[in-house]
Amino acid sequence: MSQRETLNGKLPGGAFLGRALHRIGLRGRGLVIAIPVLWLFLFFLLPFLVVAKISLSEAAIARPPYLPLWNWDDGYLNITLNFGNYLFLFDDPLYLSAYIESVKIAAVSTVITLLVGYPMAYLIARSAPDTRNILLMLVILPFWTSFLLRVYAWIGFLKGNGIINNILMKIGLINEPLVMLQTDFAVYIGIVYTYLPFMILPLFANLVKLDQSYLEASADLGARPVTTFFTVTLPLSASGIIAGCMLVFIPAVGEFVIPALLGGPDTLMIGRVLWNEFFSNRDWPIASAVAIVMLVVLVIPIMLLRRAQAAEAEVQ
Amino acid sequence: MTTSQPSTAVKPWDTPDAVPFMQIKNVTKKFGSVVAVENVSLDVYKGEIFCLLGGSGCGKSTLLRMLSGFEVPTSGQIIIDGEDQAGVAPYDRQTNMMFQSYALFPHMTVEKNIAYGLKRDGLPRKEIATRVSDMLSLVQMDGFANRKPHQLSGGQRQRVALARSLVKKPKLLMLDEPLGALDKKLREETQFELIKIQESLGVTFVVVTHDQEEAMTLSSRIGVMNKGEIVQVGTPHEIYEFPRNRFVADFIGSVNLFEGRIKEDGKNHVVIASPEAGTDIYVPYAISGVEGQQIAIAVRPEKMEISKADLGDMRNRTSGTVDEIAYMGNVSVYHVLLDSGKRVRISQSNRSRFNDDAPTYGDRVNLGWAGRAGVVVTA
Repeated sequence: MSQRETLNGKLPGGAFLGRALHRIGLRGRGLVIAIPVLWLFLFFLLPFLVVAKISLSEAAIARPPYLPLWNWDDGYLNITLNFGNYLFLFDDPLYLSAYIESVKIAAVSTVITLLVGYPMAYLIARSAPDTRNILLMLVILPFWTSFLLRVYAWIGFLKGNGIINNILMKIGLINEPLVMLQTDFAVYIGIVYTYLPFMILPLFANLVKLDQSYLEASADLGARPVTTFFTVTLPLSASGIIAGCMLVFIPAVGEFVIPALLGGPDTLMIGRVLWNEFFSNRDWPIASAVAIVMLVVLVIPIMLLRRAQAAEAEVQ
Repeated sequence: MTTSQPSTAVKPWDTPDAVPFMQIKNVTKKFGSVVAVENVSLDVYKGEIFCLLGGSGCGKSTLLRMLSGFEVPTSGQIIIDGEDQAGVAPYDRQTNMMFQSYALFPHMTVEKNIAYGLKRDGLPRKEIATRVSDMLSLVQMDGFANRKPHQLSGGQRQRVALARSLVKKPKLLMLDEPLGALDKKLREETQFELIKIQESLGVTFVVVTHDQEEAMTLSSRIGVMNKGEIVQVGTPHEIYEFPRNRFVADFIGSVNLFEGRIKEDGKNHVVIASPEAGTDIYVPYAISGVEGQQIAIAVRPEKMEISKADLGDMRNRTSGTVDEIAYMGNVSVYHVLLDSGKRVRISQSNRSRFNDDAPTYGDRVNLGWAGRAGVVVTA
């Protein structure tokens, strides 16, 4: 307290601000937390509320293309909440199958990313510190190029007369080009490729901390390296696996660019449906409802799970 | 000093035809150009508690890691129970290790930690359960089976780690600073418990420690290591009373080293001229040396007398001024400055609660020690 007073005494302007903040209950710690809270409020909660509001309104040919939720009419406040958008989502099987398809593609991609990323993260964590930095750099390096550019590059690899088909035909493995572009296969490749660093980095951060003496103790007690991996390394890296899977799964569910560029017309992912509703049909309320349902159905359970995991980690 | 050796016990290391249980033959370990362990040869017999004692970086842990297979010797041979350990992976060795950090698996309960090694051997469930519970009661941890390591105190974790490393009945148990993480009181209690457990199971222990008191209490024999080499092997008594060189004399306990030259090399005595001690030192036994040779006499602080009165009956005498006194309850340690400028430590046990004659700061005192009290160290 005395420190604050001397500080305030020196800076009259600061003193005023300090007192003002103090009065509204903000001091030291509160102030530090206030900044990210404000940020989340402005750029996450507020837009979310706007989307939620639009999802409850009625579509209209107007600008913006929906009717206001409330109007003031002759002393009456009329609030019109239109739940029809949500009901419509369950009426039309298109939406349900898009959700299921999205979850399926995201889940499969997450598993593949984990299977590819884990050995890489393990190798990086086990390598000498000098090599480790180079390898980590290589993992992050793709971020220096535009994401769109990298996805377009995959088109060049996968298309009918693309690099992969050309090579395979040259060495005589196939006689006619394989259809790879505009298939689910291409979507998987795109997602796994794009999100691999998000899997590797949390796994690496976890594995590099793994105490070598656990592995030695396991070997000493008679476990072969493979057994040690499954009984010690893998369970102890569970929090890294969960973190990596979350970072891949959550954005992959709502992925739009990759299925749009690499996927075929029948690759139905919720991100694409959303885009179509929004820009092609200009049906903002339906698009908003799709987004809200996705958030509620997918993200909230995941957040709760993550919280439970964090609480468990706290105990450890 | 207490040893685990009963008075009637045979001393296999003194028996010429006894077969060592573990043999280290000319083992050298290099990390790049750094020599961690240099040409170490060592025999350990069945049922021993053998302590490798040395300061940090002396190579004792590296030697232990070679015994358990985590490091491969650059050259030399390790034989355990007649089997050459070259090329045998850690998981195939019939040795176990208790790690300095204990390395208890944090995601497993106490029970699962102890059962881990038995499960790897594919033992039937029932046998695992009985052996785990036997082990838990041996280390007095029954009732803690379902705790996780983070729910235990340091002393309890130490017991679990011991149980886990003993449950497979290893031929050789290696303990890396087993009591290092415990506080003094607990350490003293645990030392004796460790000896008891070792005697009841008959497992051969190799202990690594930097704590000489721990080594003295625990071991049947001690190997003192310095700079990758074993400088002396012997029972705690031998190491303390007959140090082979200046390093051992100085490292184990505290010691007053008087440098000097052989003045008279008799048939059954030597006289050493030591300007440092301020007197000629008489040693009542013959040594292999020549006149004029530089040697040192090591005298333990508790084997010296200090008095304001004359010490006429002592064979070796000198005098100085009391510079410092450390009162430690059971003993008082005096630092006496000799006329040569050499500082000498003398400890006197405080047998009486009142001692008005005791020397105090600045007093001129006489120091003396018997002829047999000093040990000649040549190296």
